[in-house]
Amino acid sequence: MATASKSAKRRYEIVENKGNSEDVDDIIEAQVSDNADDSTDEESSEYSGLEDDEEDDSGDEEDESAWEEASDEDEEDDDEEQDMSTNEDSEDDSEDKVAPTAVPIEQVESSTTAEEPAKPVEDEYAYDSSDEEDLRNTVGNIPMNWYDEYPHIGYDLEGKPILKPKRGDEIDNFLRKMENPESWRTVYDPQTGQDVVLSNEDVELIKNVMGSRIPDGSYNPYEPWVDWFTNEVMETPVTGRPEHKRSFIPSRIEAMKVGRMVHAIKMGWMKPRVPKDTSVERHKYYLMWNADDKSEDVRRIENPIPAPKPRLPGHAESYNPPPEYAFSDREIAQWNRLADTPYQRKFPFVPKRFSSLRAVPAYDRFARERFVRCLDLYLCPRAKKMRLTIQPEDLVPQLPKPRDLQPFPTVCSMIFKGHKGLVRTISHDPSGQFLISGSDDQTLKVWEVATGRCFKTFEVKGTVRCVSWCPNSAIALVAAAVDNNVYLINPGVGDRLVQAKTDEILKEMPAQTDYLIPQRVRAVLTWNEPDKEQWASGFRVILTHFKAVKHVAWHSKGDYFSSVMPEGDNRSVLIHQLSRRRSQLPFSKSKGLVQCTLFHPLRPYLFVATQRHVRVYNLLKQELTKKLITGAKWISSLAVHPGGDNVLVGTHDRRLCWFDLDLSTKPYQALRHHGQGIRAVAFHKRYPLFASGSDDCSAIVSHGMVYNDLLKNPTIVPLKKLRGHDKFDDFGVFDVLFHPTQPWLFTSGADGTIRLYT
Amino acid sequence: MEALKKSMSTDERQIQVRFVTKQEKYALPEAPFSIPCGIKADLLSVLVNNLLRETRETGWEEVEFDFLVCGEFVRLPLAEHLKLKDINTEVTIDIEYLERFPAPEPEDSLNHDDWVSASHCFKDWILTGSYDNTLHIWKTDGSHKTTIPGHCGPIKGVRWIEITGSLATFASVSHDQTVMIWTVDLETYAVERVHIGRGHERSIECVDVDKNSSFLATGGWDHMLKIWAATSDSVLTTEIDDGENHKLSTVNSGKSLRRTPLMTLPGHKEAISSVVWTESNEIFSSSWDHTIKLWDAELGGLKSEIVGNKSFFCVSYSSLNQTLVSASADRHVRLYDARSQEGSVVKSTFTSHVGWVSTVCWSTTHERLFISGGHDNILKLWDSRSPNAPLYDMVGHEGKILCADWSNPSLMVSGATDNTLKIFRSQA
Repeated sequence: MATASKSAKRRYEIVENKGNSEDVDDIIEAQVSDNADDSTDEESSEYSGLEDDEEDDSGDEEDESAWEEASDEDEEDDDEEQDMSTNEDSEDDSEDKVAPTAVPIEQVESSTTAEEPAKPVEDEYAYDSSDEEDLRNTVGNIPMNWYDEYPHIGYDLEGKPILKPKRGDEIDNFLRKMENPESWRTVYDPQTGQDVVLSNEDVELIKNVMGSRIPDGSYNPYEPWVDWFTNEVMETPVTGRPEHKRSFIPSRIEAMKVGRMVHAIKMGWMKPRVPKDTSVERHKYYLMWNADDKSEDVRRIENPIPAPKPRLPGHAESYNPPPEYAFSDREIAQWNRLADTPYQRKFPFVPKRFSSLRAVPAYDRFARERFVRCLDLYLCPRAKKMRLTIQPEDLVPQLPKPRDLQPFPTVCSMIFKGHKGLVRTISHDPSGQFLISGSDDQTLKVWEVATGRCFKTFEVKGTVRCVSWCPNSAIALVAAAVDNNVYLINPGVGDRLVQAKTDEILKEMPAQTDYLIPQRVRAVLTWNEPDKEQWASGFRVILTHFKAVKHVAWHSKGDYFSSVMPEGDNRSVLIHQLSRRRSQLPFSKSKGLVQCTLFHPLRPYLFVATQRHVRVYNLLKQELTKKLITGAKWISSLAVHPGGDNVLVGTHDRRLCWFDLDLSTKPYQALRHHGQGIRAVAFHKRYPLFASGSDDCSAIVSHGMVYNDLLKNPTIVPLKKLRGHDKFDDFGVFDVLFHPTQPWLFTSGADGTIRLYT
Repeated sequence: MEALKKSMSTDERQIQVRFVTKQEKYALPEAPFSIPCGIKADLLSVLVNNLLRETRETGWEEVEFDFLVCGEFVRLPLAEHLKLKDINTEVTIDIEYLERFPAPEPEDSLNHDDWVSASHCFKDWILTGSYDNTLHIWKTDGSHKTTIPGHCGPIKGVRWIEITGSLATFASVSHDQTVMIWTVDLETYAVERVHIGRGHERSIECVDVDKNSSFLATGGWDHMLKIWAATSDSVLTTEIDDGENHKLSTVNSGKSLRRTPLMTLPGHKEAISSVVWTESNEIFSSSWDHTIKLWDAELGGLKSEIVGNKSFFCVSYSSLNQTLVSASADRHVRLYDARSQEGSVVKSTFTSHVGWVSTVCWSTTHERLFISGGHDNILKLWDSRSPNAPLYDMVGHEGKILCADWSNPSLMVSGATDNTLKIFRSQA
């Protein structure tokens, strides 16, 4: 037990003396520096080598200290052993006392008996840095000989001078050396000016260092060899083989995998996981009876409409209503009267007075009213539905106002009266001074436009189907289709010189010497000379066809004209040349009932309208250029814009189709403003106007501007519906015609009149 | 009188007016009167008559007055008129009164065989042209003097050139592209065709004579304005002719009737509908191409141009006030200032016709009066100060009026498609 208590006490002391325990190196250094001049001392000379090493290896301090720690532990173990051994050999106690560590000699001297030799187990890391080396003397790392002349050697932590210990004279020192067996291991500490006795370990250490051995004496460099990695083949081998090179190279397969992922991310197939939004707290539960003024947070419904609120009870509902709310006799009578229609009553109940709230009976309509309220809530709209609101007007393109598109005909200014039958057809002379009309009363009449005077009347035998004034102003000729004949008539108005010249030209048939009329044409048509009587009345040439001619049209040069016999099958279209009196049948195949033909105003094209389609033929190349598809059942009329790139087609099924030949073979625009089938269409030569006449006794004038810019589509604005003609036999307007220079429109009707609108 | 009192007695709003006049004999003291604002012109006339009767002690005969406020005749109730003119009714308003132009009286109706398309009066003689290709000479008393065939197309214009003693010359133009100059002995009515002018390539629409009666201007459907010598003797013709002169002079010396134009003025793009020769030797020509052009007749150049937006059918020039009235292919008569440089500004528009106006004619004595005839069969007498209502409507025709003339200040004549020429006697 005694040893145990001793050991405990010693540990305590060690803790206490921590500050006192010195780094061995320092002590040694101090010793060495002190005894530098003392070359006689053999041992101290031995230390000098150590000192050099120390200085060189200043960077290895940590290693050393680590190593010291290890050695300390060893020391500790040794301590234990020594402690154990103290019991056994207590006689060499004295040696043991000094052996463990460097202890100041005075202490050693004074506590040789009282204390066990201190084996400092110190934490050298506590003052590891060189700054705080020896804290007993604060003078620092200075040459200590500066203090040689002073009684003190430095200052302690309190600032008090550390007095030099008394050192006897050389004799005393010598004697003490001689007496003291430990003197060989005693070194002088210049910092404190005290002698320090080195422990056995210190000495051992010094010896090891000096002998170029491993300083730690406990380290065994000759431990037995354990062959961890053998060359023998083992069942579960642990190889010492270095890692293969490929273990340092990134994996190719993984690289491909990563590449694929990168691609997927790039393409948007793979998306980073959306981090859970923790900021918005999702309501798992919501307040059922939320505040009324806030909109209800209904997750299912976007943009919800708050439910309609029930009417709040008023004074009438009170259990004690003011007397004015009580029903009067009249009100009661009314209440009773409305028993069949209770929803018309002012209140659903009769206000009654009760003396107290207690006396109020149960409300018999409660369940029903709740139910009705629930129904209301159930049926009321719950969400605002955003609908795209497009007004029909917005879809219609912005058209200019008709007012801005003047001039155009608006009022009937003149009525040309004189015909006794339907006026089927009208045509004007090139200057616009005269008008010719053909009627069912078997006459053609020439009118003066300015006055409405009928100048001439030509009697023909048959209904006049079509008249057409020759557009060439150098010839005074009118072509009129009457039954099977086409008459070329000199109207006898206009320039007299031209009339005379025309007569001159037509007087004699040009000689057909080198020309043989083809059999096919000969079967269809003959050019006849009029007899004297007919000549006198104006007829110049008569072309007798084999079927009824319905339409004639002049080429703009005035030499060629075409005639149409709808019943002629493949011989229904004929083109005649006036100057040579020849005719040709341009088509060998029948494409349907031909309604009318027109020449292109500028280019050698021929428009042929059959019942459903309009075909455009190139007359030079003799081929079909275009086929316009109207989508109509029955085309009635055709008009070509003076520019030649736009065609108007009127149909019996009320449609007016505008074709832009550059654009498409389908109608650019189809107008359905007429109440009945369209009979005639016409373009104005100068103004951007076109008109259509219909069986509903009206003519519609429209603005049709064609632009030179190919990218700009024509502007079509219906302008005015012109009425005035009377209905006769279900027929209304038969023909429409624009004045060649003025914005005036002529219409001919079934009522036997021609009207001029200006 | 009762009506006046009645209207005075009603507590209507009163306005302060002052009656002024430029006619000395009707002058009134310059005192403002307070009259009800709803008063009309006839009551005003009664009022002024009463005032005049009070001022003149001697017997006073009723005179019809017309009233001008701000240069325009009062046709509506006075308040409305003022409102229309935007005049403040708080201040005293000057009302100018003048004797009303007396109503023309229908005098005669001269029956023709066909439409009467041209007419011209000169003193007591009326020359008419008809669609049956004949010319007629009438006396103003309605007696038919002679029928002159000769043209082979409907006559479109006639014009007396001069009457010296009993010998008169006149010109006629026709659809047959000729202008003919005739002489007539006004006692025996022997007619001789002096010249046939050929040169127009289409029908001629109009003819006019210059003030010296030496030249004719014609225009027609060939868009040309041609000037011809009007004299009946062929000497002058050869003198003046310079262009195609050589051949022409030989023709003339050969006692031929034929005559060619002295001058051809191209410029119009459409038919010329009427020509007017002014005092200062200028020619106004109206055309279907929406222009009225002013030509220098001596030099043969275009001087200025008035552009309208409708075809012009007729133009008339007044030498009294240097303005033009025009009839165009609508129901308005438009007044242009011939002197103004900007030209095309319509000074006022006279609207009362319901059909095309085919003819207009200024008075030769009154600087503000003109007549117009239209396709609505009515001949209207206008005062240029009354743009919204004519002074008088002269009803009687049963067809479109084609021509009208007021060359004789006391006679207004109009020919129409009802084959008659109506004569209205103008009182003033």
